[in-house]
Amino acid sequence: MRRFFFVFFCLLPFAAGGQVVVDKPLSARLTGYDIDVVLDPELHTLTGRMTAFWVNHSSAPVGEAMMHMYLNAFSSNKSTFASQGRWSAAGDDGWGWVKVNSVTDGIGNNLLDSLTYVSPDDGNINDRTVMRVGLPVAVESGDTLTLNIEFISKLPSPIVRTGYVDDYQFVAQWFPKFGVYETAGMRQRENDGWNCHQFHPNSEFYANHSVYNVSVTLPSDFVTGSGGMLIEEIDLGDGLKKVVWRAEDIVDFAFTAWPGYKVLTRKWNDVDIIFLTTESALKKADKQFEAVIYALEYLDERVGPYPWPHLTFVDPPLSGAGAGGMEYTTLFTSMGGGAVPSFLTMAESTTIHEFGHAYFMGILASNEFEEPWVDEGINSYWEQRIVDHYYGDGYGQLNLPFIKMSDADQGRLSYITSPGHNIATNDLPSWMYPHDTYYMMSYNKAATWLHTLEGLIGTKTMDNVFREYYRRWAFRHPSGKDFIAVVNDVVKNEHGDIFGENMNWFFDQVLYGSGICDYRLSGITSHKIRSYSGVVDGDSVTYIRSDRTSDTLYLSRVSIERLGEVKLPVEVLVRFDNGDEVRETWDGIAGYRDFEYTGPGKVVWAKIDPDDKIDMDVNRINNSYTLEPKHTASRRMMNKFVFLMQMMITIFTI
Amino acid sequence: MSLLRTLKNGAVNAASSYKLILFIWCTTLVITLAVVYPLRTSFNMIFGNSMAVERLSNGFDIGIAGDIGKPLMALMASVSAGSLLLGTVGFFLMTFFAGGLFRRFTLAWGRLRVSDFLRASAGNFIPFLKIALLMMLIIGAYTFVLIGLPGILKMAISGSQMSSGKLMYLFYALWALGLPIWLFVADASRRWIAATGSKKTFRALGAGFRALKERFWLSYLTVLAIVLINAVSIVALFWFAASATPDKGIMVFLFFIATQSLFIIRLLMKAWRYAAVCEAIHQVKSI
Repeated sequence: MRRFFFVFFCLLPFAAGGQVVVDKPLSARLTGYDIDVVLDPELHTLTGRMTAFWVNHSSAPVGEAMMHMYLNAFSSNKSTFASQGRWSAAGDDGWGWVKVNSVTDGIGNNLLDSLTYVSPDDGNINDRTVMRVGLPVAVESGDTLTLNIEFISKLPSPIVRTGYVDDYQFVAQWFPKFGVYETAGMRQRENDGWNCHQFHPNSEFYANHSVYNVSVTLPSDFVTGSGGMLIEEIDLGDGLKKVVWRAEDIVDFAFTAWPGYKVLTRKWNDVDIIFLTTESALKKADKQFEAVIYALEYLDERVGPYPWPHLTFVDPPLSGAGAGGMEYTTLFTSMGGGAVPSFLTMAESTTIHEFGHAYFMGILASNEFEEPWVDEGINSYWEQRIVDHYYGDGYGQLNLPFIKMSDADQGRLSYITSPGHNIATNDLPSWMYPHDTYYMMSYNKAATWLHTLEGLIGTKTMDNVFREYYRRWAFRHPSGKDFIAVVNDVVKNEHGDIFGENMNWFFDQVLYGSGICDYRLSGITSHKIRSYSGVVDGDSVTYIRSDRTSDTLYLSRVSIERLGEVKLPVEVLVRFDNGDEVRETWDGIAGYRDFEYTGPGKVVWAKIDPDDKIDMDVNRINNSYTLEPKHTASRRMMNKFVFLMQMMITIFTI
Repeated sequence: MSLLRTLKNGAVNAASSYKLILFIWCTTLVITLAVVYPLRTSFNMIFGNSMAVERLSNGFDIGIAGDIGKPLMALMASVSAGSLLLGTVGFFLMTFFAGGLFRRFTLAWGRLRVSDFLRASAGNFIPFLKIALLMMLIIGAYTFVLIGLPGILKMAISGSQMSSGKLMYLFYALWALGLPIWLFVADASRRWIAATGSKKTFRALGAGFRALKERFWLSYLTVLAIVLINAVSIVALFWFAASATPDKGIMVFLFFIATQSLFIIRLLMKAWRYAAVCEAIHQVKSI
């Protein structure tokens, strides 16, 4: 009973707010934060206190807590983040850090002396981004640990996701935050334990879905926005105000404050959308709202509902561009709204991508440190589908009369043109990708093989995979293997055994393998079948065929080769000169395959993967072969180039 | 009325020089093809017997560029180097031909044979080159002061991502309205050299400014009108060339004929400006 009251009082601050944002809890809410700070925009500090709780949901007592101290990544040039990312402060005032001044547990034990910094990833003694809190008494199974922390956070400059420039502040990863305590079996883990990685330049985040009550005191002229719902804004006098937000079931809480923001609002179904932008980007606001609504509609229909009634997004000013292109579930940042020409959808695709993270690692809270492809790869795949669906008739990135590019191709190009596209597997932790391949591998290679998977199993099945993934794993922590299990179940359910026992053969190659996929149509031959003639037992023999041309038979051969290591089933479309077409399928396993045809028609062309289902194929030019090559397009392009050069000569001479 | 007469007489003079214009066109076509034809051959070799080239039928699909693989870099390097080479050679060539054209437009009457045209082009080349470089320097500085500097200041003050907004549009308009002044000075200076046979660049520039001062509005409006018509026509020509997607062999040939005809019109319009400036100065002198 005593424990009950202890837990009750500890949770009181969080329970007191009740259900403010959503009707009922969406997640287990194993952690929560009640934060009250003062933002000093001149010193760029946040000073205040925090009460945080963590529920031990494991079956055993836990004697320590692990917390992320992200801002310490900016405290020196020897931190793992700074040394790997070559980050350095903009002057002496540019360093960022978070310092704990006091910490007590729910019954008043002073834990300050128990704090130590650990570096589980690289053993870097200068890295202070993971803090261990030693507990005098282990937290029993089902009990709640409450920590009362007084802290001061100093924002870094230049901004890398978080920080300040002049009076622009983007406040993210700013408070001591619990890691995720994983129990055995969760994400295929063998033993219970904390999952709390250091902050690396390429790693992002992994956290429990939490409840946040956040109060920030700051100058009245600052316009603010956050991932929470605005509860109230209190005028404190003396040019100060207090802003109070509450957020429920999100994995991180960030906010921004800047006097220069312009605030616009829209509504989509029951979702209030708030857009913080700059004066110069106002003209792009309609397009930015449109992009968010496209993404909401598309993912809501094909993956699952967006469950929160609020969403805030930010287009930072040029000076704060380092905060752009980031996601905090119900708050995200876009970029370049005011700077990008209207024929490019770069700003819109960034908006769609960052919103997509509300699903892929927001709702489906995978571990971005260890499996970046599960959120960045999947999210890039959906971004490309959405952008190419809504913009440019399939050429979502650029659709001008003379030049075009789809968003999916933009991702595919990054993968196939990278010299390192086959040096590592796609399942590495984010900081382990060699030779700067993190972005290409975790975003673009993963998106490319997801498009290939869609090509193989069909768009309808792919959508059902994600619906099921959402149904099983929303507001939990899925791993890559959990996603694969969903794929296996849905594909089996919809297609039976036509792809084999399961789809592991696919993931073994594209995710856990490093090979490339390249099929080549090496040639076409057609020969007239000649009359039978020769010598049998010393007598010459001739079989005279009819003279009618319609009886002339041809033996045609279409030769296909597999040049890469990846083996995928492929289709081959063969066209004859009499207009007939044949569609063949090949399991793609052997090194080569010849298709032979005897008939009145000669093969004129053949195409491997005629419907462009296999995005992973690194060379589509060699996928087809025609005996009648047409150079019309190249002639036309060259004509245009001649004209362009002639015009340039006359324009740039006076 | 004198403005219209200037424009009309300039147009007539330019049109009557069609043989010279055709000669200039022929020369630019030859040097351009000398660069572009090998590129086309490389392009066809890369695609070989592939049907992937069909993806270029509705414009250049960048998605296919990556499939080209390593030859893409070589192709892009060739395109860049070829463009730079053409730009440089073209600049010298057009400066060279301007010498002949101005000689033609400063003649009191009669036509210029091609050999005389080339002789005049060669004779005027060095001072014309100096004037072209000086005026480009002046126009560059003018652009920096009127667009670059306000843009930088605006971006620095507002922290915005680009120098847009109503104020910047005002600067763009001011820049465009001021440009004819520099073009007139350049043309009037070259006309002075062609008419006097002198090689003195700075005296020529002085003569250009004097000509502008003597009858400013006629000079200014003449060039402004032609620059505006040129600007509109350039946009229209580019739009046509960019958006046309002929997909049959004969249509591609007709497209080639059409683009070259349009380029000849573009050359005529440039010659129109030269001729109109000469005409405007002639009118001033005859007052």
